[in-house]
Amino acid sequence: MKRKSYGRDAGLTLRMLFTTGLLGLLYVVFAVVLFSVLNVSLVPMIVIVVGLAFFQYYTSDKLALAAAGARIVSREEQPQLHDMVERLCAMADLPKPKVAIMDTPVPNAFATGRSPKHAAVCVTTGLWDRLEPKEIEGVLAHELSHVANRDVLIMTLASFFAMLAALLTRFGLYAGMWGGGGRRDNNNGPPVWLIVLAVSILVYAISFILIRTISRYREYAADRGSALITGAPEYLMSALQKISSQMALIPNRDLREVEGMSAFFIIPARARTAAAELFMDHPPLEKRLAALAQIAREMGRPVA
Amino acid sequence: MGLRDALFGRNKLAEPKRDQLFSLVTAAVTLDTELGLKTAGVAAIAFKPQSSGEFRSAFDDVDQLLEAVAQQSGTTIERKSDDFGFDWIIVRDPDLEDLVAAAHTLADELTAKGFGSQLLAAIFRFDGGEHPVYWIYGFKRGAYWPFVPIGDQKRDNATELELKAKLEHELPIEQDLTRWLAIFDAPV
Repeated sequence: MKRKSYGRDAGLTLRMLFTTGLLGLLYVVFAVVLFSVLNVSLVPMIVIVVGLAFFQYYTSDKLALAAAGARIVSREEQPQLHDMVERLCAMADLPKPKVAIMDTPVPNAFATGRSPKHAAVCVTTGLWDRLEPKEIEGVLAHELSHVANRDVLIMTLASFFAMLAALLTRFGLYAGMWGGGGRRDNNNGPPVWLIVLAVSILVYAISFILIRTISRYREYAADRGSALITGAPEYLMSALQKISSQMALIPNRDLREVEGMSAFFIIPARARTAAAELFMDHPPLEKRLAALAQIAREMGRPVA
Repeated sequence: MGLRDALFGRNKLAEPKRDQLFSLVTAAVTLDTELGLKTAGVAAIAFKPQSSGEFRSAFDDVDQLLEAVAQQSGTTIERKSDDFGFDWIIVRDPDLEDLVAAAHTLADELTAKGFGSQLLAAIFRFDGGEHPVYWIYGFKRGAYWPFVPIGDQKRDNATELELKAKLEHELPIEQDLTRWLAIFDAPV
């Protein structure tokens, strides 16, 4: 079981490497600044953060399930869901994860767990009820790709220093408020807590953006994984649309009924669209769908 | 829509956009080779009739012209109205190009007579899949969108999205999915 990713997207891999590199660089600079400014008091804090990160990492499957209020279901309770997960795992060459269900009408799904052996996938009852079986497969395959790509590990690592920076920002604020500002290392420089506070805020802000970016790239990678496991990206596309928003749903209403009300009267029913398109930032959904459409085209064409 | 319309309210309907109609003819090659879909040899154009005598006589002229053109190309033409208050011109011809041409002629002539804004949509049926596939051309939008009805008031969104993905580069496809309105119980 050495397979790590499904399919290749050179551009995506490059962007992912670049962002991860930037994040690494940021953290190195952060560490250097911290060590040069504070020397001893930092150690216990790092121990705390490392401890927290490890705790989060090792208990991620149970924590996430418990936090979401999800319930692990047995094969007897949900034979169809179990069958589906087993089939997909066989395709993806993964051990079967725990299968959980969350009782909410909002269609959604998530995967968690530090390694493929300690993974869990969870779907909501809304997803199970509203989507077609093929679409549910697409979503499950996406979640299983997260497991295969070890995204919990990667995101835990990525957010480690961001956690530290967040903690330091808070400590810096307290130190400043509680008269820590009176204690200076020398007479000309600004107080130490201020430097730490400023650096921490900066690191937190930048790492936040970078982590979000990495996370988005992982989503694209998992979408690609899902397309390759199921061989039918269009079902994931349709599932994403059903999940994401009511607005993006393909309507079931009849053209004649709608146009009969708007277009044939003088009322400009679509005046809002131009403005909305101008000010709307591109929702990631459209980009994800475009990426999936590209994969669909690639798969549809015979490989030369 | 200009500033004047925005300020004082639109007082004229948009002219139909007909220039993209013919792109279906080239896209038909991809539909056939990649998806095994072939024209069902039938298309239909929907428009909202007006009760005014002016419209009636204009439409009679257009109708006669269409009939004359049809006789040359061996196309048969039928008329039908539906419960939504729309009239349909149903065109039958084994050649997709003739079907598109008929829709284009109708749109052109109605526009020339000043009734272009009454046009709603042209639908082209393709067979060969599990369910019939319709390409709907919205004259208001100047774009196509796929429609795959499966039984009572249900449509196969997965297939529709697949069609969009495969034909996006050849066909002007409506990008706003909320405008992919259905035409259930189409006359063809």
